[in-house]
Amino acid sequence: MLHQFWVDLLQDLPRFTETLVKMPGADKETDLSERIESFLSELKRCGSGAGSLRGSAETARETTALLRRITAQARWSNAGDLMEIIRKEGRRMTAAQPSETTVGNMVRRVLKIIREEYARSRGSTEEADQQESLHKLLTSGGSSEDNFRQHFAHLKANIIEAINELLTELEGTTDNISMQALEHIHSNEVIMTIGRSRTVEAFLKDAARKRKFHVMVAECAPFCQGHEMATSLSKEDIETTVIPDAAIFAVMSRVNKVIIGTQTVLANGGLRAVNGTHTLALAAKHHSTPLIVCAPMFKLSPQFPNEEDTFHKFVSPHEVLPFTEGEILSKVNAHCPLFDYVPPELITLFISNIGGNAPSYIYRLMSELYHPEDHEL
Amino acid sequence: MAGKAGKQSRPRKAEKDEEEQPLLQAVLVADSFNRRFFPISKDQPRALLPLANVSMIDYTLEFLTSTGVQETFVFCCWMSSKIKEHLQKSKWCRPTSPNVVHVITSDLYRSLGDVLRDVDAKALVRSDFLLVYGDVVSNIDVSQALQEHRQRRKMEKNISVMTMIFKESPPGHKTRCEDDDIIVAMDSKSKRILHYQRAQALKKLHFPMNIFHSGSDEFEIRFDLLDCHISICSPQVSIRLYETQNQILGNQIHMHVTKDGYGACVSNLLMYDTVSSDTIRRWVYPITPEANFADQEGQSCTHSRHNVYREPGVSLGHGSQMEENVLIGRNTMIGANCTISNTVIGANCVIGDNVTLDRAYIWNRVHIANDVKVKQSVICDNVEVKHGVVLNEQCVLAYNVVVGPDITLQEGTVLSMHHPDEEDDEDEDEFLSDDDVGHSKDKTKQKGSLFNPAEVGSEGKGYRWKTSSLDDTEEDELAECIWGLALNPDPESDSESEVSEGSHDLGSHPASPELDDVKVFQNEVHGTLQRGLDENISCDNLVLEINSLKYAYNISLKEVMQILIRVVLEFPFHQQGAQISTAQYSSHLLPLLKKWAPVFKNYVKRPQDQLDCLASMEEVFLERETHWAALVKVLMSMYQLEILEEEGIMSWFRQSTTTDKSQQLRRNQGLLKFIQWIEEAEESSEGDE
Repeated sequence: MLHQFWVDLLQDLPRFTETLVKMPGADKETDLSERIESFLSELKRCGSGAGSLRGSAETARETTALLRRITAQARWSNAGDLMEIIRKEGRRMTAAQPSETTVGNMVRRVLKIIREEYARSRGSTEEADQQESLHKLLTSGGSSEDNFRQHFAHLKANIIEAINELLTELEGTTDNISMQALEHIHSNEVIMTIGRSRTVEAFLKDAARKRKFHVMVAECAPFCQGHEMATSLSKEDIETTVIPDAAIFAVMSRVNKVIIGTQTVLANGGLRAVNGTHTLALAAKHHSTPLIVCAPMFKLSPQFPNEEDTFHKFVSPHEVLPFTEGEILSKVNAHCPLFDYVPPELITLFISNIGGNAPSYIYRLMSELYHPEDHEL
Repeated sequence: MAGKAGKQSRPRKAEKDEEEQPLLQAVLVADSFNRRFFPISKDQPRALLPLANVSMIDYTLEFLTSTGVQETFVFCCWMSSKIKEHLQKSKWCRPTSPNVVHVITSDLYRSLGDVLRDVDAKALVRSDFLLVYGDVVSNIDVSQALQEHRQRRKMEKNISVMTMIFKESPPGHKTRCEDDDIIVAMDSKSKRILHYQRAQALKKLHFPMNIFHSGSDEFEIRFDLLDCHISICSPQVSIRLYETQNQILGNQIHMHVTKDGYGACVSNLLMYDTVSSDTIRRWVYPITPEANFADQEGQSCTHSRHNVYREPGVSLGHGSQMEENVLIGRNTMIGANCTISNTVIGANCVIGDNVTLDRAYIWNRVHIANDVKVKQSVICDNVEVKHGVVLNEQCVLAYNVVVGPDITLQEGTVLSMHHPDEEDDEDEDEFLSDDDVGHSKDKTKQKGSLFNPAEVGSEGKGYRWKTSSLDDTEEDELAECIWGLALNPDPESDSESEVSEGSHDLGSHPASPELDDVKVFQNEVHGTLQRGLDENISCDNLVLEINSLKYAYNISLKEVMQILIRVVLEFPFHQQGAQISTAQYSSHLLPLLKKWAPVFKNYVKRPQDQLDCLASMEEVFLERETHWAALVKVLMSMYQLEILEEEGIMSWFRQSTTTDKSQQLRRNQGLLKFIQWIEEAEESSEGDE
């Protein structure tokens, strides 16, 4: 009897070990794709109201963490494969919520990291690789992907290391920006802002630790994020006034500086910001009030404002004309757009985590952050 | 029953919540158990009909998933294989889906009650679950309602069984269809529903007084609510169906009114129209056409100004305008000089030159020739509309119909490839699927009968469904239903005539809920009893059936009894025809009474029940003067079966009656004798003591 038992067990053993070996790998794979799916569906659903259920900093971090996970868990043997995988997932992620450009930006950053790490492993300098010249464009064949086929043992570890660095950088962006606050806000100034931007909030609070100043907050109807902003600022003992959007122009003559946040910094140096910002920027221009934009680098997108399809985001018109309004709804069309385009000539200065820049300098930052081939995912 | 065993892996996402909250489950009923969408739903189940180019069931599943449902049971009956196939192809059945979908099919479901019973029989749900129909479009966040529901259940020891979700929308709102107008009486403190009534075109509304004696001092009676047909149910909902005690009355239904979010049920084509246009106007954000939430290949569309959506491969001819609120499916070609507004066009359609479309809902692969005008109509798959056709408001062209050329269709025309008469053959199994048999049958029919060129044009193919002739009342009703009552020119007279079959005076039904429900319920009870007779089902099971029906149609216990009495008393007429003699009548009825005595005993318990029972008996017999003689026999046998007691009968008899007729009834010879006999029996029994 006992003998038979051992025979059975031995016969079963290979199968048993096989399943043991297989399980973790398969599990990892489904786990990964499950995570991607849930991230996608969260992106699709996010922002059913004001569009800022969570900050874009968080989205950026989540995207990067997910990309790191893909790098660690997906099957790839060389940089070319990995880039292909990341590009594919990146396309899906950006398609899930086209207005959330941070996602695409982070994908591009990671792609750039892979390129750099690959180049370093090969021993060539990344600078030389990056320099785009007319001559090079002419001589190189269409697909530079062929160059990424070489296998390096340490590539994976290096890339993950670099992505970790990127994550650390993302963690610190808001602090880096608010550190510069004292250079821009002086005592007894009147500052105007619109809506609620977490970056601007931190920026103002940081300045308030040393200086006294007055903040005017445009309420930013119909979602009125300005109200939240004002409450939060006044809790820190900042003198705060909430004004309706219609009063922006009237109040502007008293304002020394306009400090706003933005959703995206576009490739031409313009902004895609919460609606009402354009009005604010025009009023500032009229009164020659400097307009400062607090935007971390991850909001810089290679997108241009003429790409109409993804530029806008319209949400449920509920806030404009409540559903309870009844009969009138069948007779009117109500729209509720979320964003405004602010042309670059209305902006004085960008404050990012790496310092202050003029809008005309955006193109340079762009080429430092992203590889030109990645602009289109 | 083919239950599909889904994969067992649980979504990891909400792991931390899972410890404190159990898995959220949902029951999706992918069948409406009515034929509102006939003849369209003859070829395709309602849940799969496209709304803004996405099947309705996908909207419902998306809604469930976004509220955090992790396991959904889809129950289908009519054309279940199609629904199953659709779901298996969709993203919901992919292994990565956060919402695990199980499809459960059976041809035996005839009502919501059947489904709920099955839910319980299979022990599918473990805790509170969401109950929705397969045609709900919504983006409401139910988490608050769910929390309230759980709170209540914790506080009151499982008394609350259901929380219904309502959306605030005042009368006159376009998403309110007159069909579904409801009036709700609620306790404003506890949010408990005291009375729920469909208000359709009733001028007088009755509220039972007892609802205002329930202890609370604040009540609200609201007419500004839209029933989203989303409810949070406790597992007890199905268990309670088994309980045959009066405790059912002790259950409470609560409500949750939401101002934000959007929720509507596509119950007829009028609602289809408004819900489609609401979707296009982005009321259901983030469930919008360009979000491609169903994740189908090639469905991604772009959204541009004035809510114009275009899927890839759309070609628009010279001079054509898409004015506003337009959605055009992939690879659709539109000719020159067309004007399109408030319209949804499906995939692979071809539309000619100089076509005007307004509020048109055109599904896939439709061909529309030049110079066609369409106003507020639905055109199903593969339809061909020839040159110069004009479709007026509320036309329906069902699958594969061909119309034209040069014909103007009247308002409300319904054309289908199915002949309306084929219904008559299938009246027996009204709700059962007849897909295969039906198809072969109507093919032979189509060969036999020719299409009427006056109805569909000289090259047309199809049968006209709505007929204006009055003798075809049944079809008339069907066709009206498809667009909902709002179209009905005189809904009041109509609904009243329906009622008059049941009772002469509305006032005699003090607590009647929705009229049509009562009627449907009556039919259902009749059907149940008939089946019970045919298949020799035991009385216990009959009681269960009736109780579940009671739940499904929201009928009070008192009415259940009234209707039961009515149905049983009228049973011989249904079986033998209305012209049978009194003797025949009673000889048929008495065995039935004996057979179903346990059923009656279940409902007739208190003295008040006896009185109600007698009153409804009286009512039935008042309508049928010729059979008064049978009343005594009925009373006698009920007395012998111990359903009724002496006191009950005596107090009913001594009741001061108001109408002459009922006094006449009481002066009936046989009855007097019977009463005398009872009196004597009573006295003798008293003497014994």
